[in-house]
Amino acid sequence: MDKDRPQSARWKRRVLWTGFFPASMLVVYGILFAVMPDKALMALRSSGHVFLNISVPLFLVFILMLVLNLFLKRAYTAKFIGKGVGIKGIILTATAGIISIGPIYAWYPLLKELREKGVGNTLIAIFLSNRAVKPFLLPMMIAYFGWTYVLILTVFTILGSLGVGYCVGALVKEKSSLSFHV
Amino acid sequence: MRIAISAEGWDLEARVGDRFGLSQYLVIVDSETMAFEAVPNPGASGQRGAGIQAVVLAISKNVNTVFTGYMSQTAKRHLSANGIEVLTGLSGTVAEVLEKYKKGDLQKYMGVVRKPESRGAKIDKVALVHAVRSSASQFANLLPTLIGVVLLIGIFNAFVSKELIFSIFSGNTALDSLWGACLGSILAGNPINSYIIGGELLEYGVSLFAVTALIITWVTVGLVQLPAEIVTLGRRFALVRNAVSFILSIAIAIITVVVLNLIKGCVGQG
Repeated sequence: MDKDRPQSARWKRRVLWTGFFPASMLVVYGILFAVMPDKALMALRSSGHVFLNISVPLFLVFILMLVLNLFLKRAYTAKFIGKGVGIKGIILTATAGIISIGPIYAWYPLLKELREKGVGNTLIAIFLSNRAVKPFLLPMMIAYFGWTYVLILTVFTILGSLGVGYCVGALVKEKSSLSFHV
Repeated sequence: MRIAISAEGWDLEARVGDRFGLSQYLVIVDSETMAFEAVPNPGASGQRGAGIQAVVLAISKNVNTVFTGYMSQTAKRHLSANGIEVLTGLSGTVAEVLEKYKKGDLQKYMGVVRKPESRGAKIDKVALVHAVRSSASQFANLLPTLIGVVLLIGIFNAFVSKELIFSIFSGNTALDSLWGACLGSILAGNPINSYIIGGELLEYGVSLFAVTALIITWVTVGLVQLPAEIVTLGRRFALVRNAVSFILSIAIAIITVVVLNLIKGCVGQG
């Protein structure tokens, strides 16, 4: 599945797309060095300073990514979404949102499929909101904002996800009679 | 025993799918009663993550064995880790494959299934290599944008004055949070970039209210991803979810910073 031609074309498109932004920044720097070398040097020094600041947390992010990839599989994560009813369903779905990895658009088709199988809008919204909690990025967040802030924000983000879930559940009609009500 | 066969159609006369992740259906057969059901494969259209969706489907259907034409090593590993046996290289119709299975022609190719991994299980070398590769790939994906953001911050620091920043973020809690939420809703990408941008904005003297709203909406509100969310989850769902997330992110930002200040105040007094 990962070695066919369409996948490879998609990969090339992705590389081009992700490389476009940093490449355009390099072009801007090139122009700046030609037009305003002093300012360009100042900008480059400033960027270097930011890089130095984030290097250690970035390394820790990689280590955490490795640990999560080793112990958490996407197939297992997906199994949590919409499992159980009431509080248990909410907790499992929120957990799935927190531990889910990868870009959000990769999850949309699966969420659609789960909804067609009866998972309610409330739980889908809770899953999406809890993606704001990123365990593997905690070192970077703590490095910038301190652990007290990160702890408070994490708690309120999880609580807020319940609010989002409740509002979405109340405002968006369920299509299926099998939907979970929480 | 429940057998899932990747197929190009919904009945037993359908041809066995060449590729597990891209087959139109999974025909799930009870080998004792021969009763079957055909489940559409959500990944059949070939979008990103097709293989993993078929894997999730097979696991959720509690099958014991999967028969298919071809399957990636990643998908095999996921199924095997869940105690599901996989047999590839099959062709013909679903009925023909079942016939071969009933005659016992396929059993000789089927090995002993690895038991699902338990919590205390040792980390095997293959899983470690796979995890390193996945992490390196994820890291490599976030790195180009992160480098771009850091380079952009350098330009920002060299050219943008504090006065300009303060003309937008005036120090008004509600307005600052609103602007932060707007910025986070427009920008997209790995949230690590929101921390770096937020951290730099703090250095400029922008309030933590604004930065917190930016960090929350960066992930929970996505104007860039909105079309994709509308297509897959419906217009009303996508619009309501994003609107509610936007409003609540401002409330969460304000509550978070107020609580943080209270705690800091208590610690300071203590």
